[in-house]
Amino acid sequence: MSTGSEQLDTRIEIVTPENIAFQYRVAGPFRRLPAYLIDLAMRVVIFFAGWVGLMLVFGVIGMGGFGFGLGLVFWFMLAWFYGGLFETYWNGQTPGKRMMQIRVLSVDGQPINALQAVLRNVLRAIDSQPVVFYQLGLLAAAMNDRFARLGDLACGTMVVIEESRRSYEVIRVSDPEAIRLAGQIPASFQASSTLARALAAYVQRRRYFPWARRAEIARHLGEPLRERFGLPGQTSLDLLLCGAYHRTFITDRDDDPEIRTGSPFKQTDSMEPGSPFATANDSP
Amino acid sequence: MKVSDLLESRREDWRELERLCWLVESRSRRGMPAEAVTRFSSLYRAACADLALADAYQLPPGTIQYLHQLVGRAHNQLYRSRRFNIATWTHQLLVEVPQQLFSDNCLRLAFCIFWGVFLLSGAMAYTSPGFAEQVIGKELIMQMEENFSPKIQGRNPNLDSFMAGFYIFHNIGIGLRCFSFGLLAGIGGLFATVYNASLLGAVFGHMGTIPQGENFFHFVTAHAPFELTAIVLSAAAGMRLGFSLIDTGGLTRGAALRRAAGKSMPTMGAAMIMFLMAALIEGFLSPSAASYWVKASMAVLSAGMLMFYFVILGYPRDA
Repeated sequence: MSTGSEQLDTRIEIVTPENIAFQYRVAGPFRRLPAYLIDLAMRVVIFFAGWVGLMLVFGVIGMGGFGFGLGLVFWFMLAWFYGGLFETYWNGQTPGKRMMQIRVLSVDGQPINALQAVLRNVLRAIDSQPVVFYQLGLLAAAMNDRFARLGDLACGTMVVIEESRRSYEVIRVSDPEAIRLAGQIPASFQASSTLARALAAYVQRRRYFPWARRAEIARHLGEPLRERFGLPGQTSLDLLLCGAYHRTFITDRDDDPEIRTGSPFKQTDSMEPGSPFATANDSP
Repeated sequence: MKVSDLLESRREDWRELERLCWLVESRSRRGMPAEAVTRFSSLYRAACADLALADAYQLPPGTIQYLHQLVGRAHNQLYRSRRFNIATWTHQLLVEVPQQLFSDNCLRLAFCIFWGVFLLSGAMAYTSPGFAEQVIGKELIMQMEENFSPKIQGRNPNLDSFMAGFYIFHNIGIGLRCFSFGLLAGIGGLFATVYNASLLGAVFGHMGTIPQGENFFHFVTAHAPFELTAIVLSAAAGMRLGFSLIDTGGLTRGAALRRAAGKSMPTMGAAMIMFLMAALIEGFLSPSAASYWVKASMAVLSAGMLMFYFVILGYPRDA
C-alpha cells in the first residue's frame, strides 16, 4: 500500500473497478463509540424483549426451562453474532453504524464478506481487553492510519464515514461591484486549474472572515492579478477575486448575469445589505 | 462551457443517482425493477466519469467533495457484501478444513500442550491432595463435590433444555474467547490453553480421588470427546492468528495476519459445531438415567466421527 506515506489526514483513496479514484474519510473512535453504544443499547432491549416473549410463550405451556435455555442461546447469538449478522446482511452496517452514517469496508474499498463481518466482531473479545473498555482496540487504532482495531487488522477492514447530505452547488457572487469587475477582466484571461481551485476555495470561505482578514488573504493573489489586468490601484482585491471567480465558474464576459435570476442555484452572497459584512470594503 | 452550465446539465443525473441510491439503501435489491438497476449502473458510471474529469472541468472543491461522496455511496450499493453461501461453507467444512488441520502445526502444538498439561495436572491432583485446591479453589471444589454426590438418574426435561442452552452460551463463549486471545502473538492463546487444561486436569484428577468421582465420570464421558477437541481446535485457530504475526512467511505482518484469519475462521466454525454437539449431549444425554454403556458408546461413536473427520477426510489427497 503506497497510501501510508502519502496520507495526510483521515482521507483514504480508493480505486474502483471503473478505474476511478475516489476518497473516503476513515471513521475515528469518536464516531464509532456512539455507534457502539447505540448497538449495545439495542442488544439489551432486543434481549429483554425476546426473553420476556420466550418466557411468556413457554411459561404458559409449562416449558419454562426450555424457554430459559432458548433465551440463553439467544443471548449468546446477540453477544457474539449481532454485529456479524447485521454487517453481512446490511452491507457493512449495524443499526448504530447506520445512524452514525459509517460503514465497514475492506481496505481495498470492496464490501466486506460474511467471513470478515463475523470475524471482526468475534475478535471484539480481544479488542475489548482488559475488562471491557476497548483499551487494546484503541491502542491498535492509534497505531495505524485507518483507525483499525485488532479485529479490523485481522480481517483487512476499515470503517469509513458515508455522508449523503452535501450540496454541490456553485456559490454565486451577486455583488454588482464584483460582477462589474468581472467585466473588466480581459477576455484572454483563462484560469489554470490551480488558480481556479484557489479562487473557489477563497470564495467558499470568505464569508466566514471579517473584511480586514479578507484583505489580508486576498492580497497575495489579488495584487499580481490587479497588475496583470491593469486595474486601478484602489480596486478592492477581495471583490477582484470574486470577479475572477465569477468569470471562471459562472459566466463569460458577454453573458448577462440577470438571465439566471430564476436558477435554482443557491444565491449565496455575504455582501448583501443587512449581512454583518455589508460594509466590508477593503481599501488598503 | 462554464462550470455553472456544466453543473446544470449534470444536475438531473446526479439527483437521479442520489434518488436511486436512497431507493436501494432503503429496500432490498429484489424490490427494484430491472430498468432501475440498469439505470443505476449507467448513472454511476457517468458520475465516475464526471469525477475523473473534475480537474479538467475545473470543478470547485465543494462539488468534487460531493462527487466523492456520491460515487462512494453508489459504489457501496453496486458492490454489496457477499452473504453466507451454504454450499461453499459445506465444502470448506468437509473438504478444506480437515485437510488443512491434518498438516497444521498449530493444531499439533495446541494438542500436545493441552493434553500434556491436562495429564500432568490430572496426575498432580490425583497424587498430591492439596494440588486441586490450589488450582481450582476450595469453593468450587466443594460445589462440585456437592453437585456430583447424588447418583445421576435423569432429571426434569425442562432443566435439560435449560442446561443445554447454558452450555451453548457458556462453552462456545469460552471457545471464541480462547480463539481471539490467540491474536496476542500466540501468547494469549497459549495462556488460555494452559489455563483451561490445568483447570480441567485438576478437576479430573481430583474427582478420581473421591467417592463422588464415579458420578462425575458417568456424567462427563458422553460429551468429553467433542468438547475437549473443540477447545483444542479453538486454541489452535487462535494460535495460528498469533503466530502469523511472528512467522509471516515473507509477507508483511498485516498481510500474514489477514491470510491466517481467513484460514482460521472455518476452523473456528468446525469448533463451534463440535461445541454445539457437545452441549446437546451434555444437556440431554449426560444427565439422563441411561446406563453407563450407552454413554460410553456415545463417546466411542463421537470419537469415531472425529477420527473420520480428521484422518479420513483430512488425509492429504491430490486434488
